[in-house]
Amino acid sequence: MPCWYYDKKELRNTPSALDNIEYDTEMRYRKEGARFIIDTGSKMDLGYNTTATGVVYFHRFYMFHSFRQFPRYVTACCCLFLAGKVEETPKKCKDIIKTARSLLSDAKFATFGEDPKEEVMTLERILLQTIKFDLQVEHPYSYLIRYAKCLKGDKAKLQKMVQMAWTFVNDSLCTTLALQWEPEIIAVALMYLAGKLSQFEVIDWVGRVNKHLRWWDMFVEDVTMDLLEDICHQVLDLYSQPTPTTAPDSPPLLPRPAQTTQPSSSKTANGQEKEKPEVPEPNPPSVPAVSIPDVPTYPYPPSFTTTAPHASAYPPAYTNPPVVPPTHIAAPPPGPPPPHMAGPPPGVPFTPYVAPPHYPPVVATGPYYAPTPPSQPHRPYYPPPS
Amino acid sequence: MAKEESPVYESLDMIGTGAYGMVYKARNRKNNTFVALKKVRVPLSDDGIPMNTLREIALLKQLDTYEHPNIVRLLDICHGQRQEKELVMYLVFEHVDQDLASFIQKSTILTNDKIRNISREILSGVDFLHSHRIVHRDLKPQNILVTENCHIKLADFGLAKTYDFEMRLTSVVVTLWYRSPEVLLGQSYATPVDIWSIGCIMAELFMLKPLFCGTTEGDQLSKIFQILGKPREDEWPESNVPIKYNSFEIKNKLEIRNLIPNLCENSYDLIMKMLAFNPYKRISATEALNHDYFSEEPLDI
Repeated sequence: MPCWYYDKKELRNTPSALDNIEYDTEMRYRKEGARFIIDTGSKMDLGYNTTATGVVYFHRFYMFHSFRQFPRYVTACCCLFLAGKVEETPKKCKDIIKTARSLLSDAKFATFGEDPKEEVMTLERILLQTIKFDLQVEHPYSYLIRYAKCLKGDKAKLQKMVQMAWTFVNDSLCTTLALQWEPEIIAVALMYLAGKLSQFEVIDWVGRVNKHLRWWDMFVEDVTMDLLEDICHQVLDLYSQPTPTTAPDSPPLLPRPAQTTQPSSSKTANGQEKEKPEVPEPNPPSVPAVSIPDVPTYPYPPSFTTTAPHASAYPPAYTNPPVVPPTHIAAPPPGPPPPHMAGPPPGVPFTPYVAPPHYPPVVATGPYYAPTPPSQPHRPYYPPPS
Repeated sequence: MAKEESPVYESLDMIGTGAYGMVYKARNRKNNTFVALKKVRVPLSDDGIPMNTLREIALLKQLDTYEHPNIVRLLDICHGQRQEKELVMYLVFEHVDQDLASFIQKSTILTNDKIRNISREILSGVDFLHSHRIVHRDLKPQNILVTENCHIKLADFGLAKTYDFEMRLTSVVVTLWYRSPEVLLGQSYATPVDIWSIGCIMAELFMLKPLFCGTTEGDQLSKIFQILGKPREDEWPESNVPIKYNSFEIKNKLEIRNLIPNLCENSYDLIMKMLAFNPYKRISATEALNHDYFSEEPLDI
């Protein structure tokens, strides 16, 4: 049974890489696929959880298959379709395809083939088998809200920080972070980033214990500053990437029943394959949702080194998530009920480039929150049975 | 039905043909272990695999990550062949040789200790399911597995909606013996139905034979009332009851204490709390686990 977390070396050694797709290109495909799922989901009024689940399926799928064999927009549709059902927000396959049609250029939509719906339906079973029916996925959102409830300080600043962190979480879906770190850790890192950028310094928090140096020590263990900064950089890098206008838009596709003919190397597209007037993608490399006029050094606050440290620079302390012994449990997992049942859906989370997302409602209620010291410092991590 | 072949699992023999489809014992060619293959037919709608099935499978997979000791492990899920309107899926579970029914059958006497341990493990499995919002709905000795070391593993839960499809295709009679009154009366039901079943099963552990053996819904109810007494009329459900309160006339009332002479005070109390007619007054799994019965001195007779 696969573990769904990978190290950086594994992320460079994907089926696409073995299929002669360069790393940067693969990252771009992942970003475009994720962005497309987000855009399709938000156009169809799907919640942030459904969208995020779809994106995680998408990233996991391409740890087993090459972008050359499975065109990304079809896969993306299928991931969103499946996520809709799993998160109990089902959308009809034909409606998803219709929305996709409206968002994609003709050239991109051509990858759906003659019978787009059949294409997605067939892919559903491949997708299920690929992701090993591990359909339930957790996202940083719920942790973000839970952690924010414990922080003390200026309410307006806290709200601003949470809102910014929320946007970063949205955008982090376009990276492979969900393949690297658990949602708790991503939530902590992006709150840390948002705190820096919005100049919200957390001095005190509910449930503080002497041994805790930082607020997040209460929730996650052994998270080094290097790790946090690395995660932040992976997100910030999204904003500094130029939209590649010269890169080929799609890998030369192999006909599905994997033909063995030469895939004619990745650089086939000499302007021909290129999108007609390659309109800049709807994600300008600018500031995310919220503008932060008072942070001059954006996007890199002074404490960041300019480049992310190499993976090998990390102490081995966190190669594995802290393991709470996978003993049997006798009580429900800590925390609130699953988000689809009682989630605090913050209004419009997936319009980061249009308007700031609404504040998560929980944060907006009352000055401080009932102390809810967690019963344990870290979500029990039960490794999948091997 | 023809034996299905898969590259990994070699199916050996059929273990069960429940109302819910077939279960095969199979060998995993990769590591030479035995597994139980549960064949599930899933209807394919216009929108692929139904949401209910996906959600149930998602939950099963997630539950399995907790590795609760009293829940049968779900090892794998595979697709079988796909037909026009349905998809065959195999759920691969760990294989346990014996179920509680055959365990009871071959036992001549069970010590109080053993009964207590079995009951505790059933309850703790059910408590785990309930804490994850799963109602088993069909607890019975046939789907409670007993390992070689006499530990309990619950099977056959969490796929109620998926099974619905299969149910309509088979005519296998489902046993009524462990059904709670609210189910027999066609009322809406929830976690208390499982507690009722455990109450029946606990009594069965003492008696080594089933407590209420009805043949129809009505007969099952009268068997229940014969032993527990008829509920007060104001406890009878008010609406949509296919069976009338007045249709029961209880003669030859029996007493549990007479049926099970060796029942100790605590076990009697617990069983009676599990067999409360009113589901709202029935003890919960968590409460049951905290009952004195489970903390009393091991007084083995």
